[in-house]
Amino acid sequence: MFSVGTIVRNRVFSAHGGEPGNPTVSARGSLSLLPRAEDSQSEEKLSLLCSPTGSAFRHIHRTVFKMLVLFETAAGYAIFKVLDESKLQQVDSLYKEFETAEKANKILKLKHFEKFQDTTEALAAATALVEGKIGKSLKKVLKKVVAKEAHEQLAISDAKLGGVIKEKLDLSCVYSPAVAELMRCIRSQMEGLISGLPARDFSAMSLGLAHSLSRYKLKFSPDKVDTMIVQAISLLDDLDKELNNYIMRCREWYGWHFPELGKVITDNLAYCKTVRKVGDRTNVSSTDLSEYLPEEIEAEVKLAAEISMGTEVSEQDIGNIRHLCDQVIEISEYRTQLYDYLKNRMMAIAPNLTVMVGELVGARLISHAGSLLNLAKHPASTVQILGAEKALFRALKTRKDTPKYGLIYHASLVGQTTAKNKGKISRMLAAKASLAIRYDALGEDTNAEMGVENRAKLEARLRQLEDRGIRRISGTGKAMAKADKYQHKSEIRIYDPSADSTIPSTSKKRKFEELEGETSEQDPVTPVVKSKKPKKEPPAEEQEAETAQTESGKKKKKKKDKRAEEEPEEPKEEEEEMAVSEPTEKKKKKKKKKVKEEEDE
Amino acid sequence: MYEQCFSPRGDRGGRGGGRGGFRGGFGDRGGRGGGRGGGFKSPDGGGFRGRGGGRGTPRGRGGRGGRGGGGRGGFGGGKRVLIEPHRHEGVFICRGKEDALVTKNMVVGESVYGEKRMSVEEGEMKIEYRAWNPFRSKLAAAILGGIDQIHIKPGAKVMYLGAASGTTVSHVSDIVGPEGLVYAVEFSHRSGRDLLNVAKKRTNIIPIIEDARHPHKYRMLVGMVDVIFADVAQPDQTRIVALNAHNFLKNGGHFVISIKANCIDSTAAPEAVFASEVKKMSAENMKPQEQLTLEPYERDHAVVVGIYRPPPKQKK
Ligand SMILES: C[S@@+](CC[C@H](N)C(=O)[O-])C[C@H]1O[C@@H](n2cnc3c(N)ncnc32)[C@H](O)[C@@H]1O
Repeated sequence: MFSVGTIVRNRVFSAHGGEPGNPTVSARGSLSLLPRAEDSQSEEKLSLLCSPTGSAFRHIHRTVFKMLVLFETAAGYAIFKVLDESKLQQVDSLYKEFETAEKANKILKLKHFEKFQDTTEALAAATALVEGKIGKSLKKVLKKVVAKEAHEQLAISDAKLGGVIKEKLDLSCVYSPAVAELMRCIRSQMEGLISGLPARDFSAMSLGLAHSLSRYKLKFSPDKVDTMIVQAISLLDDLDKELNNYIMRCREWYGWHFPELGKVITDNLAYCKTVRKVGDRTNVSSTDLSEYLPEEIEAEVKLAAEISMGTEVSEQDIGNIRHLCDQVIEISEYRTQLYDYLKNRMMAIAPNLTVMVGELVGARLISHAGSLLNLAKHPASTVQILGAEKALFRALKTRKDTPKYGLIYHASLVGQTTAKNKGKISRMLAAKASLAIRYDALGEDTNAEMGVENRAKLEARLRQLEDRGIRRISGTGKAMAKADKYQHKSEIRIYDPSADSTIPSTSKKRKFEELEGETSEQDPVTPVVKSKKPKKEPPAEEQEAETAQTESGKKKKKKKDKRAEEEPEEPKEEEEEMAVSEPTEKKKKKKKKKVKEEEDE
Repeated sequence: MYEQCFSPRGDRGGRGGGRGGFRGGFGDRGGRGGGRGGGFKSPDGGGFRGRGGGRGTPRGRGGRGGRGGGGRGGFGGGKRVLIEPHRHEGVFICRGKEDALVTKNMVVGESVYGEKRMSVEEGEMKIEYRAWNPFRSKLAAAILGGIDQIHIKPGAKVMYLGAASGTTVSHVSDIVGPEGLVYAVEFSHRSGRDLLNVAKKRTNIIPIIEDARHPHKYRMLVGMVDVIFADVAQPDQTRIVALNAHNFLKNGGHFVISIKANCIDSTAAPEAVFASEVKKMSAENMKPQEQLTLEPYERDHAVVVGIYRPPPKQKK
């Protein structure tokens, strides 16, 4: 609130900036106890004594003192001097004094009118005023006009501005209903009071100012340019891919010379930094690597260097490898920078979505849909499987279950969940996320409150789900065994490199294939199918674990192999399922239809 | 808020279309669906029967524009159109196959939101009018509903709270003409963009992209006004209007508030909501003088017209 002490003072009354009148001492309350307010010290005490309420007028209503009024217009600042203070107290009938220009001029006198030089100045002044700050020009005017005669009160129309003026210029300000009434009266007699400002000029000025102010506002609102995000996330993926290639190359190349190092240092960046610093492996013993490596690994490296089986390489080879390392390090640094940029951008453009699913997944979703607005048009069920189109259509074709998650799988909320609940959580997350997306895309204010709230809700729900699972497990031994199996699988999945790499292509596809396997597993079909599945699963999983670590070069082949393997399997499974449970099949059909509809949109 | 305002439009039109034949023969756009319904042709062409015949029909008032020759296209499929002034100054009626409320277009040759235009030659001058769809504008609906006074007239200074994309504002701008002023306050940036574009071509609109709850933020742009029109669709609408009235509405100035019962309290009966809003107004020195529901154009809407700080003559 407004905390400027409205100083109640006894004052020398100077009518027209001229002869001093008689200091009048008020007979009211605490005032009478104090010495005359000629010296500023006692005044300060006074200001402490008096409550900083807006009722300044009522307190001082028999005191004569000087008051200035700051009135802002589109054309400039007007500062008035109040000539007849007594009239101001009659708030209700004040307007009568402003009925004509002559009457008004008896109460107020224009002391100074600071015209804005041009629209730029006006715009600067207006933006400052809107935010309740004092602009440069206002400060100058106040210093020039008001501060000359100290101990004046300034009536203003914005409490916040009053606080700032008090703080910066040490002028006491008044803001009260009475002042508001006064301002209203001034506004109604603006032409009469401010000489040299015809109504036409005023409306021309306000028109110009209003337009530039609005344009400024619309321009400087955190404009929702989501193409930046789409570009940034694509670049991030490109960088990751490239970085991965370079590092593999580097490891292979240097591996001829010092193969043991690759095993000892698993972290890619540390590896490159070490190689760059060491160069030839004979230098290892003499270089200090504590900068990049923890102690025990450094010792290990030194040991390995002495008994290495690598071949000797020339100075030139080392030079080239070093160059490659430089590249990797540079790109890594740039990647970090880009990631930070993406984070900031996401927070500015889609704060709620970011809170819900994290900036990477959020950015991917946006990029996948093309723009935030497009994403906002997708229903929650589409958001849930966005990025799993291939799996979806294959599932539809082969009449299998549709995938339960797409890009959203990588959200930390889904990641935390045990496999059994992943589908549930991803559905709930998608529902809340699509709400957040719409809020971000179409809402007016930009805070993440709603996202934070919903995330907390989901986390609570997640805990509840997981707890319930445990309770049930403790009930029956069978359930326990089942849960164990699931746990096991999820552990494997945690190893997925996508957790620390942002390359979507390799890991994602594999994931959806994997997911499909899982979805059919989770179906509450009869034990006949279930008993078969564990048998089928292990080889597939092994393969996945393998592929996760293979180099990108071999990927394509593997994928082909895999598909070839999978295809003959699928029909079999389907047949079984159909034979086993009719009702599920029906349900599935319905589900499929729905998804199809969404896709059509 | 934005959505609240616009999404139900389609269904509104549909409703009207179904009933057909009621007053207000407006088929030009019919607020989507309305026109399609085809039930708008009022059989006698008298779409303007005001509420209570005592107020007088617009017909025959003022000699201006009584005859319009050869309006091209638009209304009535190329037939000649006849423009008559409405009882409210600045508003006109276009008589053709289907009657329509129109305003004189300030920016000749341009539509603001895709509304129909028709031009009329009057001696040397060619005057263009724009159709004003009561399904898209509450002010137009109020006028067709037979409101007694809108107080918005040529030369008036109007503050319009909740200007949205400038649909109604453009018509208000037409009415007040070059001598008048419209301060259009809207806080949504999305709508603000459209509003700014409308204001670019109409120099009597002063666009203000601010929250109407903080009148001090636009104090340096606004002078005293004669009328405040409010259609912000907010629960605290009356307070918003009062705040602005305290700052900018001259003594004895008028306010026109459109109240959507749903926006204020969706659980209470509309009549109760309107009554409580009227009570709130009285507490703010705003004296309601007239209340009108916007059926059939809007459901559970009312327009309240009143005077602010009425001159104390009555005391005597
Ligand atoms: C019902 S729409 C107005 C439609 C407009 N009168 C017309 O007929 O074209 C309400 C508008 O008021 C705006 N609004 C709501 N609260 C507001 C506020 N506090 N300040 C300014 N505008 C507000 C909304 O953004 C919305 O565009």
